[in-house]
Amino acid sequence: MSDDQSRRGPRAFTPDFLTELFRNPLDPGYADAAARRAETGRPARSGWSVGPVGLVVIVLLGFLFAVAYRQTMAEEPGRAQARSGLVAQIKQRQGETDALSTRAEELREEVNRQREAALGGSRAARLRELEASTGLGRVRGDGVVVELADAPGGQDALGGADAGPAQVIYLDLQSVANDLWGAGAEAIAINGQRLTSTSTIRSAGQAILVDFRPVTGPYEVSAIGPGGMRERYEASGSALTMRQVAKVTGLSFAVRDADDLTLPAAPELRLRYAEPAVSPSVSSSGGDESSGSGTSPSPSGGGR
Amino acid sequence: MIAVLALLAGVLLGLWLDPTVPAALQPYLPIAVVAALDAVFGGVRAKLDRIFDDKQFVVSFISNVLVAALIVYLGDQLGVGGQLSTGVVVVLGVRIFGNVAAIRRHLFRA
Repeated sequence: MSDDQSRRGPRAFTPDFLTELFRNPLDPGYADAAARRAETGRPARSGWSVGPVGLVVIVLLGFLFAVAYRQTMAEEPGRAQARSGLVAQIKQRQGETDALSTRAEELREEVNRQREAALGGSRAARLRELEASTGLGRVRGDGVVVELADAPGGQDALGGADAGPAQVIYLDLQSVANDLWGAGAEAIAINGQRLTSTSTIRSAGQAILVDFRPVTGPYEVSAIGPGGMRERYEASGSALTMRQVAKVTGLSFAVRDADDLTLPAAPELRLRYAEPAVSPSVSSSGGDESSGSGTSPSPSGGGR
Repeated sequence: MIAVLALLAGVLLGLWLDPTVPAALQPYLPIAVVAALDAVFGGVRAKLDRIFDDKQFVVSFISNVLVAALIVYLGDQLGVGGQLSTGVVVVLGVRIFGNVAAIRRHLFRA
């Protein structure tokens, strides 16, 4: 074979390169060299000896293997370290966030106290009213709790991700919240997160975000409102829809009356475009309570 | 025998010196190792076939490593990433397998 090739001159690759590769994996150069040696009559080296250049290359080879081995070994703990470092960082930041939010809560209380002391009397009371109706103040009262939960997941993984159990989606929470407002609720919280006039309920991937904070099921929508709120809510569109959905898919959906609910204050509301109107409306404080707020979703009195 | 000793000496030298590979060269290391393995098994097989040739061994080793590195570099520049080096690994892997099979036939007659 080698004789053929040397006579044909430059070795041409057959079209079927892969077949050739499988059939004859050895570098063809060895065969060529052996043929050349046979022509000149030099004997091949015997035993395992190699020339000096070959030796250098072999030393180089060993060196390369050792370096590659070292490199791989050195990288492995680095990767694990980076991972655990990140986990530790996440934990630490979470701790910091918790501490800071507790501190913010304390400071807010402090500010409220100071402000009440400074304002005194009817003005402080009016401020409290406004805060309660806009969601910036903690409120107590009787109302309704709507509970939603995903359908219990039976078999998962093998069943395929898209055929999983029925889940509560953000639209459900939105419609429940909207219909509760419609039924006369004065304050609503989802899983302990107070809704304000600028709150958002949206989905990001699998998670539901209320005001950009994730909430997980089972969901509990608590609302404080006037006496007949539950009956009015039960008659609303979302309640009827959700009852039907629950019957068909196995979601759980329940509405119950609840006494003495306490809903937390929402985090500081930041208005970016609206500015408070100047003096006259402020000076006319007195008569009706929440007409000036504009952000109060249901300016009906009572139930507080 | 001398060749095996040389290989051992190289390994020990590498472990002893423990050089740090510059970050720019790190992606080439695994491919270089595969190319070097191909050269080694090719050399051993040629030895057993009694057609071993010093010059051929040296040239095939150096060119294998260089071409493999070039392909990895090209893949990086073209933005196809690891896919070109997959080609290198497949071709060299096939050759390593074929040569090891031939060595096995030589040593064990099976």
